[in-house]
Amino acid sequence: MTDPVSAALGLGGYQPLVPALLLGVTALLVLLVDTIWPNEQSNTLLATVTIAGSLASLLVAGAQLFLSPEAATLFDGQLIVDGMSLFFTVIFTSVTALVALASHDYIAERPNQGEYYALVVLAATGMTLLASANSLVTAFVSLELASLPSYALVAYLKDNRGSAEGSLKYLLIGGLSSAVFLYGISLVYAVTGTLKLTEIATVLDAGIDGSLTGVLGIGIVMILGGVAFKTASVPFHFWAPEAYEGAPAPIAGFLSSASKAAGFVLAFRVFLTAFPTSAVAGVDWVLAFEVLALITMTLGTFAAATQEEVKRMLAYSSIAHAGYALIALGALTGAADRLLVGAGMLHLLVYGFMNTGAFLFIALAEQWGIGRRFEDFNGLAKEAPVACTAMSLFLVSLAGLPFGGGFVSKYFLLLGTVLSSSYLLAAALIVNSALSVYIYARVIKAMWIEDPVPGRTIEEYPTGLYAAVVVAAVVTVLLLPGLALFTDPAQLASNALF
Amino acid sequence: MIAAKYYLLLSAAVFCIGLFGILTRRNALIFLMSIELMLNAANINLVAFSAQHGNLSGQVFSLFTMALAAAEVAVGIGIILVLYRNFDDVDVTTATTMRW
Repeated sequence: MTDPVSAALGLGGYQPLVPALLLGVTALLVLLVDTIWPNEQSNTLLATVTIAGSLASLLVAGAQLFLSPEAATLFDGQLIVDGMSLFFTVIFTSVTALVALASHDYIAERPNQGEYYALVVLAATGMTLLASANSLVTAFVSLELASLPSYALVAYLKDNRGSAEGSLKYLLIGGLSSAVFLYGISLVYAVTGTLKLTEIATVLDAGIDGSLTGVLGIGIVMILGGVAFKTASVPFHFWAPEAYEGAPAPIAGFLSSASKAAGFVLAFRVFLTAFPTSAVAGVDWVLAFEVLALITMTLGTFAAATQEEVKRMLAYSSIAHAGYALIALGALTGAADRLLVGAGMLHLLVYGFMNTGAFLFIALAEQWGIGRRFEDFNGLAKEAPVACTAMSLFLVSLAGLPFGGGFVSKYFLLLGTVLSSSYLLAAALIVNSALSVYIYARVIKAMWIEDPVPGRTIEEYPTGLYAAVVVAAVVTVLLLPGLALFTDPAQLASNALF
Repeated sequence: MIAAKYYLLLSAAVFCIGLFGILTRRNALIFLMSIELMLNAANINLVAFSAQHGNLSGQVFSLFTMALAAAEVAVGIGIILVLYRNFDDVDVTTATTMRW
């Protein structure tokens, strides 16, 4: 699998890691640029480097995904680059590029731009490595590499109380859940004596001492807690509304799309590879995921329905979507497992664009300073028709109406639940989606039908933010027919896990 | 050799002390210290069972987690500093202005 380019670069066997390496090098390049010209406003150059780096990584990952998706293990099996890790790398790098493009306008007047971009790319590097983690060690290290920059990014608006508060809550719950996750890892290690996912599965398959099942069970539940934090699912979801609301809006989009997808790739990898249901008969984690999925999507939807502010509504809707994606693990009964995991991956792909786009629209609204409540968006479509059209597309796609990719991915999830006879999950998916149509329609109604807020004038139309919003909208719509392109890679990737 | 269950009991106790601290204290710095206790409880397990199983991966992993815990504290102290500048306090219950 060595091509001339990587041979010339001396990459040798590390060629599968090129997407992650590109992101890491980009982060260092950004810091280098910032070091060479520390006193000048090099915002445009920094954004260009960031976008170029993430797009290059996206291209390489996409090419590897479609051309040669066979799995490669590196570093004595600590990392694995296969269809699933490449699929998620495509999600992470696309979101990173969109966020960097939007941030160019958002942070133009603010200090510490170099650090901002570097932290975004470092977090993306961590997520990419997390997608490739094949042992609990690499999983934990890359989870922290993805989380630590995120804490700092939420606090980027240093003199803003909301930013400080959101970041504190994110840090405290993140620290707590990473400790819980690590303790779970240590218990699994205590039982199995190994940290590699495949070896854990082998040891468990061979059967463990019956008295150790309890320890193993506690360990698995604690690992599930770490996953729940990263995916912003119940019971570790408290941080999400605060952190998303307090964070700069592009960062909120980054966290709620890319970071959430990172949590799911961790869940897929760890639970399907290390704890296959056949090997851990005493510990029914599928049931735990089913309960979590039900509670998470219902709580997210109902909480979103009661919000007064659009950004906070989107934060809760992001929790609801974590619940939808959790169906992929909660409905595993053996009948349609591969379809379900593939559907979960597709949903996260579409979600990466539609949700990031929605938060970038909020970033636009924050740039205009029009306020955060639903009423503040009244009649906005008269002044900014393009942005409002894009936002409406994101919202109908989030609701699962057939105007965007969200429809297809939700359809696959529903199909999976029906095929695996998880009718409770299917019913919850339908009811919550129906209710979410009402929630999202409130924004659309405010933008298009209500009379404009008197005295509001929009003076500037920032190019980068607009471009990012429009690109996200176009991709969201194109994914309605275009998702077929990704179903094969997703299906192959999920087949490889069983 | 001490039986493995005593290590498990010790680490569970340390973990619970950390958890208790998180649930009852309001000072953000004590919060960080409590998280540190919980991480070290996991380290006790890793090292003890590394010896028990006769392989080194647990011990090496515990070195990694110590470095990561330090990194987490570095970011955490920075955020607590930002908190103090905004709220003139490091009490985690004063930061409840999430309506702006």
